[in-house]
Amino acid sequence: MKVGIPREEAWANFQGAGPRDAPPRIEDVEGLLDEHHPDRDPASVVDLPVGVNAGDRCQAHVAALLQSNALIDEVDLAGVPVTETDVLIIGSGGAGCAAALEAGEAGARVLMATKLRLGDSNTVMAEGGIQAAVGRDDSPQAHYEDSLKAGHHAAERQLVAQMVMDGPPSIRWLIQQGMKFDQEGESPFDDLVLKRPGGASAPRILSYGDFTGLEMMRVLREAVRNHPAIEVWRSAPVVELLSDERGHCVGAVIYDVSRRELKLVRASAVILATGGTGRLHLNGFPTSNHFGATGDGLVMAYRLGAKLRELDSFQYHPTGLASPSHLVGALVSEAARSAGAHLLNGLGHRFVDELLPRDVVSAAIIRECAEGRGVITGTDSYGVFLDTPGLEREHPGTLAGFGALRHLAEKCGGDPAEVPFLVYPTLHYQNGGIVIDGNGATTVPGLFSAGESSGGVHGRNRLMGNALLEIISFGRRAGREAATFRQRPRAKKLTIEHVHQRQRELMRAGLDLENRAPLLFPGYANFRFRDHLAAQL
Amino acid sequence: MVASPQSDSAIRFEVEGRTVTAPTGLSIIQAVWEAGITLVEGIGCLGQGACGSCRVFVRRSDESEVRLMLACETLAEDGMQVSFAHFIEPQLRQRYQLEDFQDTWSAVRQVAETFPEAAECRHCGGCDESCPRDISVEEGVKLAAGGKVQKAGALFDECIMCNLCTLACPEYIAPNHLAQLCRRASSALLMRPANLMQRLTELERGELVIEDAALEENADPGGGGPSS
Repeated sequence: MKVGIPREEAWANFQGAGPRDAPPRIEDVEGLLDEHHPDRDPASVVDLPVGVNAGDRCQAHVAALLQSNALIDEVDLAGVPVTETDVLIIGSGGAGCAAALEAGEAGARVLMATKLRLGDSNTVMAEGGIQAAVGRDDSPQAHYEDSLKAGHHAAERQLVAQMVMDGPPSIRWLIQQGMKFDQEGESPFDDLVLKRPGGASAPRILSYGDFTGLEMMRVLREAVRNHPAIEVWRSAPVVELLSDERGHCVGAVIYDVSRRELKLVRASAVILATGGTGRLHLNGFPTSNHFGATGDGLVMAYRLGAKLRELDSFQYHPTGLASPSHLVGALVSEAARSAGAHLLNGLGHRFVDELLPRDVVSAAIIRECAEGRGVITGTDSYGVFLDTPGLEREHPGTLAGFGALRHLAEKCGGDPAEVPFLVYPTLHYQNGGIVIDGNGATTVPGLFSAGESSGGVHGRNRLMGNALLEIISFGRRAGREAATFRQRPRAKKLTIEHVHQRQRELMRAGLDLENRAPLLFPGYANFRFRDHLAAQL
Repeated sequence: MVASPQSDSAIRFEVEGRTVTAPTGLSIIQAVWEAGITLVEGIGCLGQGACGSCRVFVRRSDESEVRLMLACETLAEDGMQVSFAHFIEPQLRQRYQLEDFQDTWSAVRQVAETFPEAAECRHCGGCDESCPRDISVEEGVKLAAGGKVQKAGALFDECIMCNLCTLACPEYIAPNHLAQLCRRASSALLMRPANLMQRLTELERGELVIEDAALEENADPGGGGPSS
């Protein structure tokens, strides 16, 4: 049982303390991470027993899903109607929409199946912005080097090089779709405003207020909705991929949640744009992610034989809300710390340089709470103060520019200029994912991946603003490449032979065939696929 | 982990006419889940107010007024009555391709031709009433119909595309979609930031490449991005 400082006492410490001393320097960063970063907890990592990554290290909860049986079997597919398309896109966030638009432009018929509504995704929640080296004192080379360094040199260099070169053309493409970015003045020719992200050597973040993702998503959603070649199925999660006799991906099994029916789709190519894994609540953490982030694409790709990477590396954002209880995990943007907000423990003391990399700051917060200097926020839950009142005192007017932050503060019941946030790290991003080449092709022919579901772009840590660039750069490339697959001979048979093969492997390894995935929805939503499918409307 | 309830005490509230109990300190969505109800549609960003997916009609026990709120960010309370405002995908009449808006001399007319209903607004105010972001929707429609495309779009800066104004409009104007066209056309036709234009020119001339001995020789070091 941990201990902490009761809220009233901590509040008195917060108010009573004089000028804040500079935080102590962290001498042993590796030691801090080893001791307190959730990725480094030996109990949270296992070796994968089956599949192409057998023997690789993997986060335990993710591993349980990867060594699972399918949700459906042969008997479920008898008599199920087949829909034909050229490119099937799974997921409708930024990557899925970029892929759909590009594939449609290339002349392919596109079917987009999305678990929630068109555009419901982490993209729409992105507050910070998108990186692109357009500054006169900046270059793609600098963007490249910053990205590799931030990712602890674990990223695939070729992918990073391609993505940073795609940066400025991606911004042009977004403007052509009708997206707006902040400019230095009122004239349409005024420079784009550039902000410096943590870990970058030059200002490189382009943004639209503090709701860049919302602006991006409403533009892409509108473009998709109006495109004659794109059809969208909503409330339509994919429950399994389909393969042919060669093991190529040739379509998918889709569940219509509203009608409680299965559907088959035959496609020349399938693009997974299913996002990340925050809603798996790895290591018991709350998350900043949207409802659908349950790693479905990862699970289905692995079962079909696609190689994955960096399955033991996740980003915990330092400043998720720790209170009030109904908003735990929601994100307080990094913009607050960038502007100079301090983190204070329950004693009212700073304990870490707030602008160190996210993994280090998160580990430092976890250490404060583990060692009893956190503020008690509930039964066995703790937090530290994000000193927004101090920020406003030091730099009056700063908070006025943070609309999303003020909205969050309102829901917490306070004025951020008077009351600090209570924060604790929140599960934010999947650093690794499905192995891809420069066109988003996975190691399984016919299967592509774009966006957070993919691995290799960020190495073991992602730079702020590179996620939005990744979804546009790789989404478009995957869409264009997948569109070319319609020239190839079409599969004659749609099978789930890969499921049977995996079932045999699971049995040989002595694993439970009743452990089924993908999850589709977090367990607490009380969704059981079999029960749901069986229940009459 | 959904959230840690604040205490062991419980609340009773009504969901779609069904009385359920849940611990205190949860959002409406979390409380519905805690009550054992399967709920997977009409949920999106869960707490940021950016998606507008989880709109609910709420009446508190001490109020007669029914309010439209977001179930992810509203605390569930004892005696609350909740019903879900299910998402309805409006079947829009208006379709367009932004790439057809090429010429600023004709774009304004094209906007009016794409959304001819905008000129038929009967000023009922239903759209303004429905907007959760307090946007002056009707004013935006009037500006767009009058050719003030950029001003119309600017009014909808904080629109979350929840479609409530579209559902409220008796003339099928689809105000939020009209506003999106205004915004998109303004940006696509006009926005040419100098620093971006200069960098694009440098890239097109091949003046910038990534130099790294570790990059494989046979690979294309970028520059061949999808052409626009």
